Amino acid sequence: MTENRNVAAVDGESAELAALRRCILAVVPAVPPEHIHPDRSLAQLGCNSIDRAEILVMAAGELAVATPVDGIHEDSDLDSLAALLRESR
Amino acid sequence: MSRAAPAVHAARAAPAVITGIGVLCPIAPDPARFTEALRAGRTAIAPTGVDVPAYTAPLPEFVLADALADVGGLPTGLAERALRVAGRSPLPVRAATVAALQAWQHAELPGAGVPGDRVGLVVAGHNLAGRYVQELRPAFERDPAHLSPRFALHCQDTDHVGTLSEVLEVTGEGFTVGAASASGAFGVVAAARLIACAAVDVCVVVGALCRVSDMEAHALANLGALARAGQDAPGAPFDVAHRGFVPGEAAAALVLESAEHARARGVRALAGLAGYGAKLDGNRLADPSAAGEAAVMRAALAMAGLQPGRVGYVNAHATGAPRGDAAELAALAEVFGPDLPEVRVNSTKSLTGHCLAAAGVLEAVATVVQLREGFLHPIAGLVAPVPTGCRLVTGRTEPVDLACALSNSFGFGGMNASLLFTKTGA
Repeated sequence: MTENRNVAAVDGESAELAALRRCILAVVPAVPPEHIHPDRSLAQLGCNSIDRAEILVMAAGELAVATPVDGIHEDSDLDSLAALLRESR
Repeated sequence: MSRAAPAVHAARAAPAVITGIGVLCPIAPDPARFTEALRAGRTAIAPTGVDVPAYTAPLPEFVLADALADVGGLPTGLAERALRVAGRSPLPVRAATVAALQAWQHAELPGAGVPGDRVGLVVAGHNLAGRYVQELRPAFERDPAHLSPRFALHCQDTDHVGTLSEVLEVTGEGFTVGAASASGAFGVVAAARLIACAAVDVCVVVGALCRVSDMEAHALANLGALARAGQDAPGAPFDVAHRGFVPGEAAAALVLESAEHARARGVRALAGLAGYGAKLDGNRLADPSAAGEAAVMRAALAMAGLQPGRVGYVNAHATGAPRGDAAELAALAEVFGPDLPEVRVNSTKSLTGHCLAAAGVLEAVATVVQLREGFLHPIAGLVAPVPTGCRLVTGRTEPVDLACALSNSFGFGGMNASLLFTKTGA
């Protein structure tokens, strides 16, 4: 379950990106919401390896899709992760 | 194999001194309030309203950020790192983080400049994730594909070590120590040895919180180890009504260091660890052995170079289990002989419940506090003592001026340890 902190959807944002945004803020509350941009990676937001794995699994769970495992890199940006989640539908 | 006579050591300086304490337990959230709760003889044991466990001493809910803010003087950066590192940890690790930081701050280690690789970390306890696994299982069974990957770390007892090492920036030797209900005392012994062999100069020992799962509680009940329901109270340790232990929940911590190291950095010693004994019974069962328990008390006395008559107080293991209490009384009689009537004995478990893996560290903290503050807390709920031959502390807190004390811990599988603390730390 993700916390409802500053998680208002950004206009035009995909469901996948919105889910990632909510999960980032739940797992790493210290991340300022305004730092979350589609072209930034989780690592750039200060997420360590276990944070990154948890955010992806949590977002996949929220979207009820399989957790993507291939094609993910430490420097994958949020747009790429959202696309992988979309492809997992 | 026959039991060898205990080795006789010459008197020597304390193998380590205690420079910091931390505690988060059913009767208090920090050492200052723990001292007052001990002085008041306050118990947290209460009936649960269910059959198993019939009584508990639960840890009151706490918020990690608030508990860290309550550690007076803790540098902001250290508190923020602790929150970042342990914020999503299971309850036992969050509690361990609070207790460890209390002890770290108490020992004046923040900013002290002690190199990280000269600091050790011992986490006392094992099978710490039973309740956590139980609570996650329903969600896992509904949706196994989305189990948090964090579980791979959180289900391991060593997650305590990793988390605390990151919070405290400890890079010396570190590990978990498992010895059932004697884990805490065995952990203190392991830490003292790390210091004695100069592997580290400072060692943090954390007694880890155990919240037993329903399966563990029922197995302990079926074994006859847990206090059964049926009366208003569970029957205090050493009371004729004693009928098993009451589970308690605590995390506690000690900072040990060599006396020379503490002196060199100008930190006062709260107490000395002058001796210890840690031995096995050669027995896998839940059967206490008076001979094994006496052997570790004798070993602690021998290491400290003290005769039994010099010890005025024993913080007994004393769970309230009739066979365990009887074995410990027989061991005390064997060790103290003619001095037994002068030995005061109490049971911190009558206040906090049996905090299992953490008990040895929690009761070491209680022993140090009582030595320093000059009082002994009563055994809560003790109405009709069994014949003991020693001076049970009953009814009210007793003022004392003692030089040293033993703290006993005995675990299933014949795991026995005894720690000997001195007030001066000399």
